[in-house]
Amino acid sequence: MSDAPGMTSGEVEKLYERLFTEAEEGGYHLNPDREMVLDLVRGLAANEERYGYMLCPCRLSGGGREADLDIICPCDYRDADLDEYDTCY
Amino acid sequence: MAEFEKVEGSKKDHELRLYAISTCGWCRKTRSFLEDNDVAYEYVYVDLLNGQDQADIVEEVSKLNPDRTFPTMVIDGDEVLIGFKEDAIKEKIL
Repeated sequence: MSDAPGMTSGEVEKLYERLFTEAEEGGYHLNPDREMVLDLVRGLAANEERYGYMLCPCRLSGGGREADLDIICPCDYRDADLDEYDTCY
Repeated sequence: MAEFEKVEGSKKDHELRLYAISTCGWCRKTRSFLEDNDVAYEYVYVDLLNGQDQADIVEEVSKLNPDRTFPTMVIDGDEVLIGFKEDAIKEKIL
């Protein structure tokens, strides 16, 4: 059940650091479960390679950037998910 | 017609069908939880399907979960669990 083919652990780590910084600057926090977040980061990286943009790893592409604008991370549903589940889906 | 992968397990009291995305960490957590608890289930990675197979499955998911979020799991054909909800799985399945 692996993903993000071709990505080294160093690259995954680098992307994690970038997302961490962006989240903190925006007033959000990444989940303290680092392994889980790294798993999501690998999913985002896989989608960036696959589609050319960081489609939410848990959402289905509608067939192109235009159709997917609402589900590119951070997606339009993040705040509603945080309110309802304390995490995004 | 999209094929679901069947995963064997000793706990077979419920019919479980999991709609998942191959890149989704929550979907992986759901699968791991079911497998760690030896629960039989079947799953499909919707993003890896093509053409009509994917369209048919997406239509199924849309009826179960109009937000089309994953994982979406169906228990015994009628009860729908959305997201990775460990406690709910424990309560309903284990």
